[in-house]
Amino acid sequence: MAVLPDTPTYGTRREALRSLGAGISSVALADLLFTNQASGSIAPMQHFVPRAKHVIFLFMRGGPSHLDLLDPKPLIKTYAGQRPESVKLRTERVTRGLMPSPFKFRRYGQSGTEVSDLFPNIGQCVDDICVLRSVVGGNPNHAPAGNWMFSGRIDQIHPTLGAWMSHGLGTENRNLPGFVSLRKVATPSRYVRHGYLPGEHQATPIDVSQDTPDQMIAHLQNSKLAPADQHHQFDFLQQLNRKHQAGRGNDAVLEARIRSMETGFRMQFTAGEACDLNLETQSLRQSYGEGWFADGCLLARRLVERGVRYVQLEINQWDHHSDINRKIREATREVDQPIAALLKDLKQRGLLDETLVVWGGEFGRTPVSENGNGRDHNHYGFSMWMAGGGIRGGMTYGATDDFGFKAVKNIVTVHDLHATILYLLGLDHERLTYRYSGRDFRLTDIHGNVVEDIIA
Amino acid sequence: MRFEWLTHLLSIQWRVSLPLFCLFGLSQAESGTTDEAGLDFYERRIRPVLVKHCYECHSANAKSIQAGLRLDSTSAIRVGGDSGPVIDPGRPNQSLLVDAVSYSGDVSDMPPSGKLPKRLVEDIRKWIAMGAPLPDDDSPHGPQPRKSVPIEQGRTFWSFQPLKVQKLPDVTMRNWPERPLDRFVLRKLEDHGFQPASSAKRRTYIRRVSFDLIGLPPTLEEINRFVSDRSENAFERLIDRLLASPHYGERWSRHWLDVARYAEDNPTSEDTCRPPLYPWPYRDWVIRSLNDDTSYDEFVRRQLAADLMSELAPAQVAATGFLGISPVYHKEPRLSAQVISVIAADEWDERLDTVTRGLLGLTVACARCHDHKFDPIRMEDYYALAGVMASTQLVEWPLVETSLAEATALTQTREAIVDYEQRVNYAEQMQTAAQIEQRPGEVYEMLVQKHQETLDALKQRALFTGPIANAVRDAGVWVDGRDPDWTVMEYRAGEPRDLPIFIRGNPNNHGKVVRRRFIEVLSNDPPRPFHQGSGRLELADAVFTDAQALAARVIVNRIWGWHCGQPLVRTPSNFGAQGDRPSHPKLLDNLARRFVAHDWSLKWLHREILLSATYRQGSRGHNETKGQTADPENRLLWKMNRLRLDPEVWRDAVLAVCGRLDPAMFGKSENLDEYDNRRRTIYGRVSRQTNSSVLQLFDFPDGKRHVDRRILTTTPVQQLYFLNSPFLLQHSALLSENCDHATSAAVQQLFLTILLRRPDGDELENVENLLDSASSRQTGLQLLAHSLLASNEFLFVD
Repeated sequence: MAVLPDTPTYGTRREALRSLGAGISSVALADLLFTNQASGSIAPMQHFVPRAKHVIFLFMRGGPSHLDLLDPKPLIKTYAGQRPESVKLRTERVTRGLMPSPFKFRRYGQSGTEVSDLFPNIGQCVDDICVLRSVVGGNPNHAPAGNWMFSGRIDQIHPTLGAWMSHGLGTENRNLPGFVSLRKVATPSRYVRHGYLPGEHQATPIDVSQDTPDQMIAHLQNSKLAPADQHHQFDFLQQLNRKHQAGRGNDAVLEARIRSMETGFRMQFTAGEACDLNLETQSLRQSYGEGWFADGCLLARRLVERGVRYVQLEINQWDHHSDINRKIREATREVDQPIAALLKDLKQRGLLDETLVVWGGEFGRTPVSENGNGRDHNHYGFSMWMAGGGIRGGMTYGATDDFGFKAVKNIVTVHDLHATILYLLGLDHERLTYRYSGRDFRLTDIHGNVVEDIIA
Repeated sequence: MRFEWLTHLLSIQWRVSLPLFCLFGLSQAESGTTDEAGLDFYERRIRPVLVKHCYECHSANAKSIQAGLRLDSTSAIRVGGDSGPVIDPGRPNQSLLVDAVSYSGDVSDMPPSGKLPKRLVEDIRKWIAMGAPLPDDDSPHGPQPRKSVPIEQGRTFWSFQPLKVQKLPDVTMRNWPERPLDRFVLRKLEDHGFQPASSAKRRTYIRRVSFDLIGLPPTLEEINRFVSDRSENAFERLIDRLLASPHYGERWSRHWLDVARYAEDNPTSEDTCRPPLYPWPYRDWVIRSLNDDTSYDEFVRRQLAADLMSELAPAQVAATGFLGISPVYHKEPRLSAQVISVIAADEWDERLDTVTRGLLGLTVACARCHDHKFDPIRMEDYYALAGVMASTQLVEWPLVETSLAEATALTQTREAIVDYEQRVNYAEQMQTAAQIEQRPGEVYEMLVQKHQETLDALKQRALFTGPIANAVRDAGVWVDGRDPDWTVMEYRAGEPRDLPIFIRGNPNNHGKVVRRRFIEVLSNDPPRPFHQGSGRLELADAVFTDAQALAARVIVNRIWGWHCGQPLVRTPSNFGAQGDRPSHPKLLDNLARRFVAHDWSLKWLHREILLSATYRQGSRGHNETKGQTADPENRLLWKMNRLRLDPEVWRDAVLAVCGRLDPAMFGKSENLDEYDNRRRTIYGRVSRQTNSSVLQLFDFPDGKRHVDRRILTTTPVQQLYFLNSPFLLQHSALLSENCDHATSAAVQQLFLTILLRRPDGDELENVENLLDSASSRQTGLQLLAHSLLASNEFLFVD
């Protein structure tokens, strides 16, 4: 049997307390346990004044083509079909000559940022967006590149961004988890693991393709018992637990489970409310459009609005090895309107200032063709974008080479991206550490610089 | 001021641009005078930048010092380099250092790899404007990579000492001790003015010890028999009965499987890392060996090297699943040999880490890129052991006598099939590409055909069909990069491989070759090179001869922790300088020494601990207030720790009280989320990807890497499981349906079945309220059963 927190684990007070609560940071938890008063967020690990409180990471799994969306490269057309020396980079699969994008780029907004016709709605929001055109990934294969994007390493061991955030900041809402993973299936994504961080930092998976909250979250609702019966049962259970505890010297561990049981019981209703999209107006729902991804965007807003720290929404449809022109059109059609609606909705509610929205895949795609009509993985240089939460809108940052294969100017590594995200949240990536296996680990390993030029 | 520099460099993916040093955990300097504030600014904001961006070329340790400039000591910074002083205190605009980092002026732009972020340049300006405060201490300290810990000096560290004979200390409460270890505990309590807690009641003790040893609750009959047993050796007989139960191995195997990071698949499941086909024979082997009380040294020796021990029966090869079910990572053949070499090195690293932290409590893996910063462990030690892993192949192996050819064909064929499937697939891709681009594609067509024929032939091969386990055998492991388009692994049976030192951890940058051997600081004499095959058997022998004291301390500490909830050394896999020190060093030595003298018998060790007065204490202290104030962690052991059931024990307990537990032992694992799976949780499938919900929710380790101990969490999402999961709903319904007809008898029955006691008056009143308000009697009983199953009383052990 394992150690209990009243025999605190080796280390700090923080560790001693962490097991007690709802994924709540230790100070907030101490507050919960010992003063029992409601209060706002308490963020014990903040190193800087935070610019953002929440993150919504829109993860385009599979690797969307920056060349067809955000990084226009007219020169490809001039050299179409050719293979100049500079594009002979090794990627996952066999590639051929340069393949131009058939999509038109236009300038949008006051800033005039160029965006392709595949993103007409997101184009409307460019003045709030900073496009990073020089992101460099860590590996040409999906899983390691995805791990790189979320944990800064290629392996499956290290904690991911959301878990680090939960570790650093805790949650703002005691009735909801701090870290939520939204997908089309009920299992959590492989890119939301808590690794060696305590289990309270694991993501709560929500299957947004389901219609009702109780289908979205495992065990959220009781399938058998009437609500009244459940209430009686809960009261009885807590009486039983109180009595048990009273005979045992008010043990803090027993207390923690009683409190946590209360939160869990309430979560059935609060999470149900948070996940109930029918509570939104019809016109707002229409603005997001239809489909599970649109619902995911809307739900992401409802969750951050209620204090969830980090929401990761994943859509896995970007791996266009063949027939890219048709497939990417379909893929963008599903995400363009909802994402733009999310940005506008957040802005309209005054939430965009405190919510950092990040968009991107684990890599981009090659300017050279695969199978004649597809594009291979490209981790040498690709585009992502960020908006809100202290980001300077209406700009592009960095550049790839003439053909969009390799980042050449103002390179942003994934570690730089992580350092910047943490910075905006008030966290110093060099000081946000966790001791494991005899040493202190961080999200950025031994790398990472804050990209200051993109901060407002 | 105090600095904590952790200068570890463990980069899983080695990259060319690695800075020389990495910094963690710069602690906040204590605040003080203005001078101190300036120095503080230097230490917190400037020195780390110099270390990270400049030391590679401008420090005593640089390969060659550039421009005669060192930035790693106060005097060197003040003196400057070939171009004279680089700082002019108070005048940033006159300082060459500022020109260099701003990429302006006549000096070279520094650092050459790219401009520093603006914030850092500003910091440097600000620091010079402050007068460039520097510490008096002129020695290059702080982030300087420390000199490696000298081996001779390192040998004096407490955990490397031989096990000394410890005299039993004198105590005042002479009647209290039951076993020798109690004298050590009591002496310490008395020295600190504590009294031990009173003994637990017999019914508390039997519940505690039943969960502890066999992972199941006692039956009412067992409780009554023990409570009324007035014989002198009632406790001994209870412990002996439990240790003789086959359930003992089922419970304790799980503790060991945590150490061995047992799981039945890999972190991902691409072609080259599909799940092992026969993982469970290893799990069954662990259960059997523990039930047989195989001595711990032999238990470990077989896990490392049963295949090399000719005296053993073929079935014992299952023991080597310890390494044979190690995590395997995908090795995409299209990637270069350089990239695949990193992946192979990562696999060896994980195995080495499990062996060294698991058996020796040493973080040897910290010496992958540089000598260990805190412990006397060299890179040579790391690569000497990594060579053992590079000489060991993961294989499927028959558990009965067969020919070598038949045995080796198993793995060879399976891997060849995977390889040719990939080759066919790749050739098809090439063919399609050619078609689309209207190029001649015959060459690919022929390739597809050729590979397909090979594949078909491979699939036709008749393979051994008897019992098989995932195991290991001796074979040197190489990355074969001869074909630039197709990188594969190559195994050479009978050809062990000594590895070169990978400079700064980079497997593509080789230093001198290191002979496979044991860790120097733990060796009595200069370590002898291994020469029997991979060296696994010699490694196992060295663990129990040269490193005997450390190995014994590590396992005794683990066993103590699994019994008492907290080990004596709170970092059970780190007995190095960065680890914890034992709360009771003499007790640990005394117990470890006698454990070795008793032939490393784990059952002997269980008896010593479980029959001690220390373990028999109640979980409420004699003076709880004093304890909570003076020793809230209960390091002094002034009471027994209250424990929460592990998820597997909790699930088994629910099945047991519902009368549904299937006692069948061993065999292939089954899905734990199926209601119809009534077997003990140890026979449930465990994954490195997605575990069953009960395991996943309740802090079950994920098996990707060795974890030193489980860390418990308490979250609302877990409570939703207790409130609403089908598992609880189904079992509470079952319990209530099987109840007596008369309501009052039914209530008594539910309390007795689940909580092993009768309800008291207050509780009966609450139950009555519950039954009255429930929508039906049957529902009311179900609510009652559900509440009892979800209660703290059921979940915790006093």
